Amino acid sequence: MNNAEAKFILQGYRPNGTDADDATFTAALEQAKNDPGVAEWFARQRAFDAAISAKLAQIEPPADLRAAILAGGRVSGEARQRSWWNRPAWMAAAAGIAVMLGAGVVLWPKTAGAFMEFAVADAKMSAIHGGHGHENNTLQEILNSPDTKLGQKLPINFANLHETGCRTISFRGHDILELCFKRNGVWFHAYFARKTDFPNVAKNTTPVLQDRGSIAIASWTDEEHVIVVVSKTGRRNLEALL
Amino acid sequence: MSSEIFTQLVDAHYTPLFRFALSLTKNPSDAGDLTQQTFFIWAKQGHALREEGKAKAWLFTTLYREFLRIRRRGERVSALEDLGPIESDPPAPEVDVVTGMDASLVVEALQEVDEVYRVPLTLFYMQDLSYKEIAEMIEAPIGTVMSRLSRGKAQLRAALARKEAGARGKVVAFQPNTARKQS
Repeated sequence: MNNAEAKFILQGYRPNGTDADDATFTAALEQAKNDPGVAEWFARQRAFDAAISAKLAQIEPPADLRAAILAGGRVSGEARQRSWWNRPAWMAAAAGIAVMLGAGVVLWPKTAGAFMEFAVADAKMSAIHGGHGHENNTLQEILNSPDTKLGQKLPINFANLHETGCRTISFRGHDILELCFKRNGVWFHAYFARKTDFPNVAKNTTPVLQDRGSIAIASWTDEEHVIVVVSKTGRRNLEALL
Repeated sequence: MSSEIFTQLVDAHYTPLFRFALSLTKNPSDAGDLTQQTFFIWAKQGHALREEGKAKAWLFTTLYREFLRIRRRGERVSALEDLGPIESDPPAPEVDVVTGMDASLVVEALQEVDEVYRVPLTLFYMQDLSYKEIAEMIEAPIGTVMSRLSRGKAQLRAALARKEAGARGKVVAFQPNTARKQS
């Protein structure tokens, strides 16, 4: 592979390093390591790409878009004609979603299991989630470390993690922090909830493993948190972290 | 599909979908509509998707196809062959200049990139999809995606340089007027 080929391929290398394990980039990355010219170009390229990605990530949707999607309403009061909004099928589907949402609130089980099911469903939707910030990265490094065992005390500062960019999702009105980590080439999803938000969850400092088909879940508590780790690659990979 | 899953699906993806839609439509209101329409299609059809892990790619693909469908027919998309060779090192603002730019200005620059390059480029910068997933989505060979990324970045650099120069020009032009009003 010559330098021009290496640069061509590395154009597609995402700045967050998600593609590090993709074999397509292996030879080109090697070229960047060995050739100072390619290395300098690649460093500049990644810095530029990261800067653009960061800017794009600052763009927020309109405040009411989420509610509008869920309720099937319109984004704004502008009377722009969109033929598909006026279709009876859309109105029926929107109404159906609204009914489902209403029913869902009533039917949600009032057990800790619901939090686990929520975590499993969230993990299923994406291979790797995003998250950033110093606190996020520090905790991720600890979880990435082969010396870290599930169930051991983790330095979780919930407020700091939330405020500095750790991915936060909402479950029943409570903030849940989610952080992906990688061990032995496999990604895991860790979910952290405040114990005060789930007072009915029994204290259990030893991780308990459960299976949902090909998905395995480990759950435990510490003094302040309920913690769930989800593996989409089965129980054996999760057991290796115990 | 349960309401809980649908809500999670919306929470997980509506923001990146909106950003992608904004790069396509160049208009926040249309981008919001397009994002909603995508979830509407999911509500009608998405339950048939057996692998939930593919939901993200499905949503992005659906949004893109819906955009193409809605767009006025006959609009011409620039073909690769219409444009010259890639500039080897087009002038570009330094990274710290980009970092200091307003996000909306960067998005404006991105929107100036030809659509054929902008689609894979936006998806690349959102970092949600790999180049392979982008290739599947736009139904193009992987080499074509790489090529479009390369050309798209070149156009983006040029657009950013123009924005930066424009911003500097505005500041310079403003000062004498202000001085005159004050005197």
